[in-house]
Amino acid sequence: MRLPLTIALALLLGSGSAFAQTRPDLNGLWQPQYTPDLTKAYGKELPFTPHGAQRWKNVDTANDPTGFCLPVGPARALQSPYPFEILQTADRVAMVFEYQWTFRLFYLDGRTPPADIHEYPEWMGFSTGRWEADTLVVDTVAIHERTWLDTAGHEHSDKLRLTERFRKTAPDAIEWVVTFDDPVFFTQPWTITRTLRRMVPPKDRVMSYSCEENNKDVQHLVPKAN
Amino acid sequence: MMRGVFVAAGALILWAGPVGAHHSFSAQYDRAKPHTITGTVTKMEWQNPHIYFYVAVKDDTGKDTVWAVEGMAPNGLYRQGWRRDTVKAGDVVSVEGWLARDGSHLLNMGNVQLNGQRIFSGTAPTN
Repeated sequence: MRLPLTIALALLLGSGSAFAQTRPDLNGLWQPQYTPDLTKAYGKELPFTPHGAQRWKNVDTANDPTGFCLPVGPARALQSPYPFEILQTADRVAMVFEYQWTFRLFYLDGRTPPADIHEYPEWMGFSTGRWEADTLVVDTVAIHERTWLDTAGHEHSDKLRLTERFRKTAPDAIEWVVTFDDPVFFTQPWTITRTLRRMVPPKDRVMSYSCEENNKDVQHLVPKAN
Repeated sequence: MMRGVFVAAGALILWAGPVGAHHSFSAQYDRAKPHTITGTVTKMEWQNPHIYFYVAVKDDTGKDTVWAVEGMAPNGLYRQGWRRDTVKAGDVVSVEGWLARDGSHLLNMGNVQLNGQRIFSGTAPTN
């Protein structure tokens, strides 16, 4: 029995493993570069708008959302000291984070964000992706504005858009280039580059993590003096 | 036996540098206030987001004051070679750390000596 060509092609393209073989294989457990202060990665003060500068001046680190076990946000998850697993198929890439046991999901099936996505912001944002040659390019919008960009206390608005480029530079290294574009907080988009390193056995597993398990810190946080 | 293996591997498990992520160091601790305690461990909480263990410290009159010591996340410590019984009730420890800003008997863990041997090297986070 012969399959019509269109059906055969559809079956081929629908096969994650067959399609993924033509793309760089990002699967595995990866360790971020811990980046608690984006200023240091950027190399200078971030290009604040007057509003952004005021917020940075007044930020109270006792209000860090992660101190209350709220989700870490999409970029900060890749700046944490905890590893994460990448799971890759033909039309999805997922990142499963040890930190807070949360995840990001990139849609690579050509869709655009839902029309009402900004009415329903997501803690890790809504991400669509595409391959540009050997680089995975991911756009993320509708990032919940309660998340912070880093531990130092850089904040953002609901207009924040992330553009990330993931490129394998060695079998055990991924270059992560992320551009932060938020016209409310920053006068221009700005970019940092970090390296993700592969975790090798016996450390190549996502370990258990529950922030609520023993979060005694919250009772000791001291608000900033005014 | 476990302790013997652990001590022999001691050089491998030293950790240099700050590790945080849960929240800013300065929201809870004062890096300008280093403090050292020595005493007997009464309890280990090997739990996320950070381990806590408790140390009974005797004052000049022989009275115990129990200090809480907050360390790294257990996952990070595990990957550095610690296990849940690396520090346990009855152990004598000396902890160099930083005082909590709220004035409680709480210390952020820096260098740790267990029964006289260094098992952890740490510094205060810088942000």
